[in-house]
Amino acid sequence: MAVRIGMMSFAHMHAYSYIQCVKQLEAEGKAQLVGVADDDPQRGQQVAQQYGTRFYDSYKALLDAGIDAVIVCPENIKHRPLTEMAAKAGKHVLCEKPLATTKADGRAMIEVCRANGVQLMTAFPCRFSPSYIRLKQMVESGELGEVLAIRGTNRGRNPGGWFIVPELSGGGAVIDHTVHVTDLCRDLLKSEVVEVYAEIGNGFCHGDFDDTGMLTLTFANEVFATLDSSWSRPKVFPTWGDVTLQVVGTKGLVYMDMFAQNSTLYDDRNMRITLEHWGSSIDYGLVSAFVESVATGKPVPITGEDGLAAAEVAFAAYESAKRGEPVRLPLPE
Amino acid sequence: MLRVGIVGVGTMGRTHASAYTKLPNVQLVGFTDAIADAAQRVASQFGVQAFDSYETLLEQVDMVDICTPTPTHLELVLRAASAGKHILCEKPLGRTLPQCEQMIEAANKAGVTLMPAQVLRFFPEFKQARDLVLAGAVGTPAAIRTRRGGPYPRAANDWYADFEQSGGPILDMVIHDFDWLRWTFGEVERVFAKALTFKGLDHIDYALITLRLKSGAIAHVEANWADPGGFKVDFEIAGDAGMIAFDSRLATPLTVAKQDAGGGGGGVAVPESPLAEDPYMLEIKHFVDSVQAGQPPSITAEDGMKAVEIALAAIESVRTGKVIRLGGGA
Repeated sequence: MAVRIGMMSFAHMHAYSYIQCVKQLEAEGKAQLVGVADDDPQRGQQVAQQYGTRFYDSYKALLDAGIDAVIVCPENIKHRPLTEMAAKAGKHVLCEKPLATTKADGRAMIEVCRANGVQLMTAFPCRFSPSYIRLKQMVESGELGEVLAIRGTNRGRNPGGWFIVPELSGGGAVIDHTVHVTDLCRDLLKSEVVEVYAEIGNGFCHGDFDDTGMLTLTFANEVFATLDSSWSRPKVFPTWGDVTLQVVGTKGLVYMDMFAQNSTLYDDRNMRITLEHWGSSIDYGLVSAFVESVATGKPVPITGEDGLAAAEVAFAAYESAKRGEPVRLPLPE
Repeated sequence: MLRVGIVGVGTMGRTHASAYTKLPNVQLVGFTDAIADAAQRVASQFGVQAFDSYETLLEQVDMVDICTPTPTHLELVLRAASAGKHILCEKPLGRTLPQCEQMIEAANKAGVTLMPAQVLRFFPEFKQARDLVLAGAVGTPAAIRTRRGGPYPRAANDWYADFEQSGGPILDMVIHDFDWLRWTFGEVERVFAKALTFKGLDHIDYALITLRLKSGAIAHVEANWADPGGFKVDFEIAGDAGMIAFDSRLATPLTVAKQDAGGGGGGVAVPESPLAEDPYMLEIKHFVDSVQAGQPPSITAEDGMKAVEIALAAIESVRTGKVIRLGGGA
């Protein structure tokens, strides 16, 4: 039976991609897009019209509309209240990353979902990248030997809007771009981060938010990694940014540039050179896995705990930059 | 005519020798090496003399070019200085800061020129990037990344694998990047680094180093002796008004692949990036010109020491797990 899905908020632009994935799953008979709700009614109505679905004028109305699950994409700070509302209404939740902006919020989200018997999945679509899946096979098969070190990047541009209002986002580039690569490292290493050091700056936008992050992570198994989470891509950069991972092992080294499957468009009319991505949609893999878990009751592949563990690295990064020294994890509750 | 003697006939000694033979007003007199046979062999290739002692070489030259393992630099520099000879010394200038200080003091006292061979300053991609940065091409730099490395280096007596001698990839290799970062972006405030150096692995080393510069910019340096896929260099300078990116894998005007590369099957494609002016030649020409003009070279011995200081701070951070703040500054 098709999983009935409601979309809660389109504040985060990834929601536009997720709704398309739901539409695709609808075409495949696996999901049904029931409707959308948004604090910004104009935005919500526009989306509903664009995707041929119903606009509900409150989150409560959407939750009462006979749905099984929600995809939650508001400003970061609202992940907790929307997740709590959905969980208490008995709906499974796919929540945009970062899961939360504080450890207490993340913990509360996990607890409320557990208490209400619904699943909480964190939106880490990079796990569904075919290149990452292949890389993980190489690590798991042992062909790289023992993993020793990882160098990662998740760079982009300042998205503007609420992303640069720390009261809504929980920070800047570091909270925005730390969690994806951290999650991949945790998934690859099957080990937790025990220490974080971070140099953080605002040298690109000179605003009251961070736009530069250079993190060093140490895992329980002694593997170390660095992660560049900066919004350092220039305005004329030919694509949005990157996710890269270089894994150094005793028997070899593998380098992944996750979004390298592009052709180059030289566009005279717009005086722009852009990279046109033709690689597989990772968001489809994400939404499809969530829908499958809701349909079958099997555990979601990326849990709330995964989401919180990655977000905690970002929290620790801010703490490290404030203190000017490495910070041990786990952070106090 | 400036007479030059080279100490050490490894890759760098031979590379420098070729440069001297192409320059006017310089005469390559000969070589000396701890391995006398090797000195003999290389000397005969270049049609010059092999000296069986450093002392006899010093008697015949106006300057020495020191291309030996790092811990030998101190004594070779001190002896050259006291003999009144000018000195071009391979990087890193010394294995420790006190060694560097002693060398600088000796050269100053003797009134001879001592230049550390921080050759990266003569690589056109690095020189150009600096020129662009100073011209404001990227605005104010905010995040800088460099990468350098490839397979684990092999040399006489496997000396790179002896940390006490080489200092591993942090001191031996990315000292190039440290010097270039200082030269281009100014002094370093603090360093945090992680590395495989002290894990007791067999011919694998790798380090990731984060620097906070006094300017406020953040730099990330990769030192890689764990990549069997060949030597690679890249950098990226991102500022508030643009970005400069270089990748040695893309800057290859020539790529050759041979049907029969030996060992059956086809060969792998081998890229080349030929230049009309070899960076090593430019470096040596600058040193020779400076000595002959009686001018200080653009790379001072203090620059060499500062680069060593950054590298040693990174190593200290690896050892202690702490952030290392650099003392003094320029």
